[in-house]
Amino acid sequence: MATVLVEIGCEELPAAACREAEAQLPELCRRLLGVEPSRVLITPRRLVLLVEDVPERTPDEWVKGPPVAMREKAATGFAKRHGVAVEELEERDGFLGVESPGRPLAEILPEHVEGILRGLAFSKTMRWNGDGLRFPRPVRWKLALIDSEKVVGEGSFGRRFTSGPIEMPDASAYLETMRKADVEPDALERRKQIVDGLDDLGGWTDPNGVLGEVVFLVEKPVVVEGRFDARYLQLPSRVIETTIQHHIRAFPLGENRFAFVANGGDQETVRAGIENVVEGRLEDASFTFERDVKVGIDSLAERLGAITFFQGAGSFADKTERLAKLVEALGGGDAALEAARLAKADQASELVREFTELEGHVGAEYARLAGYPEAVSAAIDEQYLPDGADAPLPQTETGRVLSAADKIDTLNVSFGLGHRPTGSRDPYGLRRAAIGLDRLATEGNLAILRELMDPEVAEFVEERFEGLLEAPVEYVRAARRASVRDLGSVARLAQALAALPEERFAPIHTAYTRASRLAEKEEGAAEALDPALLIEDAETELVQALERVDPQIAAALDAGDFGAAVESAAELGPLLDRFFEDVLVIAEDRAVRANRLRLLLNVRDTLGRLGELSQIPR
Amino acid sequence: MIGTLNAYWGERGAVIMQPYHTELGAGTSNPATFLRVLDPSLPEWRTAYVEPVIRPMDGRYGENPFRFQHYFQYQVILKPAPDDVLDQYFDSLAALGIDLVKHDIRLVEDDWEQPTLGAWGLGWEVWCDAMEVTQFTYFQQLGGIDLEVIPAEMTYGLERLGLFLQGKQSVFELEWAPGVSWGDVYRESERQWSQYNYEEAPVDVLQRRFDEHEAEAEELLEKNLPLPAYDQVLKSSHAFNMLDARGAVSVTERAAYIGRVRKLARRFAQLYVGADGDRPG
Repeated sequence: MATVLVEIGCEELPAAACREAEAQLPELCRRLLGVEPSRVLITPRRLVLLVEDVPERTPDEWVKGPPVAMREKAATGFAKRHGVAVEELEERDGFLGVESPGRPLAEILPEHVEGILRGLAFSKTMRWNGDGLRFPRPVRWKLALIDSEKVVGEGSFGRRFTSGPIEMPDASAYLETMRKADVEPDALERRKQIVDGLDDLGGWTDPNGVLGEVVFLVEKPVVVEGRFDARYLQLPSRVIETTIQHHIRAFPLGENRFAFVANGGDQETVRAGIENVVEGRLEDASFTFERDVKVGIDSLAERLGAITFFQGAGSFADKTERLAKLVEALGGGDAALEAARLAKADQASELVREFTELEGHVGAEYARLAGYPEAVSAAIDEQYLPDGADAPLPQTETGRVLSAADKIDTLNVSFGLGHRPTGSRDPYGLRRAAIGLDRLATEGNLAILRELMDPEVAEFVEERFEGLLEAPVEYVRAARRASVRDLGSVARLAQALAALPEERFAPIHTAYTRASRLAEKEEGAAEALDPALLIEDAETELVQALERVDPQIAAALDAGDFGAAVESAAELGPLLDRFFEDVLVIAEDRAVRANRLRLLLNVRDTLGRLGELSQIPR
Repeated sequence: MIGTLNAYWGERGAVIMQPYHTELGAGTSNPATFLRVLDPSLPEWRTAYVEPVIRPMDGRYGENPFRFQHYFQYQVILKPAPDDVLDQYFDSLAALGIDLVKHDIRLVEDDWEQPTLGAWGLGWEVWCDAMEVTQFTYFQQLGGIDLEVIPAEMTYGLERLGLFLQGKQSVFELEWAPGVSWGDVYRESERQWSQYNYEEAPVDVLQRRFDEHEAEAEELLEKNLPLPAYDQVLKSSHAFNMLDARGAVSVTERAAYIGRVRKLARRFAQLYVGADGDRPG
């Protein structure tokens, strides 16, 4: 048994490519070498497999050829393909064949190295020379060892600039040899070193989650603490955070301190350089920030007429007007209305042009600086929430109202202009906006009138409940046809219907489907119910119950008491059973028949307040 | 700095070119890069040159010491990219006086795309103690055409490198020549050009110019004169950048303008690549 080392040396790979390789290498190793890898080691410059207990020969293999009966026809070709004479073919179980001897590992390993290079699948690849291989970045060396025997390549390379070509004495000496050459090959170990270094400095945060990338940006991590001039703390904290995290992949330590993960270098030199870069960026941001603050948020808001929101949907000033109307319709108070007026002001700011991902936050900061109450600036801050599937909702009531208004307007405008998302294309994030609205209505308990959305939008938004709620999709589809005015009610009704025990739900469902089926099949229902034409007791009782129950259901739905609505509806169940038993709907007398059909339609309409119950399969 | 780079790359067989004579948004658009890289009949080409880059949207009236509508790139093309291209590049930093061991120099993924030229490539920004000093790209496609021979492009930001080498905090204070600062030479010009780009440039004239350059490019392509046509593509691209700076382009119009320039660049590239043999230059 041997220990095998395979190292593929690359120019600096993107972190995403490192992770893709990390995920695929074990399976590739199993497939090619037939053995689980002992270690998968990844740095930006190398992909490494260390495999212990690899058999030094592949096993002999019986290659089955044509049946003995076909000797005349097929044996020659088969023998030729396998480089043997026809007479040399052996016979086993009625078939001709050849015993193909196993191959020595040293012979087959170079093929496996190529197999790894070509077997890895990456989302983004390039070419760099004429050999046709595609890889995320150029491959510059390959090394394969069986114990101390070099099978592919000459040696490896240590860290850039401090260590040149290095000799690899033995496959099992890989880790210690690389560590001597200033490279920590193990990504988990690098991560640990980084986290330890950050912990030593204390109070570190990683709000944008760059740690996973940093692990693959360095071969030898050195955590360096830096500081910037405290006068930059006047900047909005998110601007500082973004500068530190986004631009230099460093970690805020609070106040004016941050931690940078260097890839070697002289600590003092590197520290001075990074501080200079951070201050340069912050100076750049401060310059812009001060110009904006001098203009002030109110004046910025007045400039919105000159900025196009969306071709065909006017300017941001037009959007602001629509927002104010929507906020009012959503029951927002004075603070929410003020927030709506200022919500898009930061689109006219220079800082948002530089930090587009900070829209909202910048406006909120400018509103605070202008002395607006916290409810106003918080709402501006939160207007784009929730910005992801599990992202938090706005914490303030004004924020929820403004966020809903913004989403309704964006959806109405985009759909109106024909930008409905397709399966894979959703460039304006409309699906996310729709899900956000649904969550505001349910988790956020915000009353959002369905009529505020254009019909096509309402349908799209309500369809999103199907993936969002635990209730089966059929219940959601049924509830969407209910006569409730509020978006959240659709969800709560679907849940109430789904939560109803089978024995309570079955009679309502049966009643609805029977009534609607029969009433729809037969033509000639009367315009209105004529009490004088009621003959049987079952009919009269049903009419009386309907007169009582219908307003009850309507009132319960209006009050959002879906349990009560469903309970009221359930009262009709037994009466309908009796009705169908005792009464012949298709009566001889045409007037009586028309009257009975009308009664069934009324039953359907009353139960139909709860939704299109026939959507729910029984 | 420029002298050092010229000497360094000159020694390595690069043809030292001069800046182009019309406004370019990047050194990549200079025919010494775009045309030579695209040319399938030219298996090898090495060049290095300074390019003044004109980006109307980046002007800050000479008030912001980090943003300008006019600055300098140093552009190197090695076609095909040699196996040791990165080592050659790092050595050029050493030639400029950067101690590669003392500093933290690394490559951070940054893929390049220029939609108006139908061009993209993969590469990095090169960090020197987190300052981005060079954009390094392996071109994959230009003018919508997949390249047979893959070149490496290195674009040094001369002002940034200067800050780094001189240990200065503001480009205004950069020593441009002994006793002469960058600010002395360019600050007033930044102020005036920013005012022109943002406030004064006549929108209707620019719109007309865009149309005219586009029409002329198409006409020249018809007449099988790709080289003069290429200049018209560059000029229409600049007219678009000016319109953008004047705020005269909405989001959807933007896409339409970019589409028009890209279409021209594509047609140019196809003609240029297809018209082997009798092509001048």
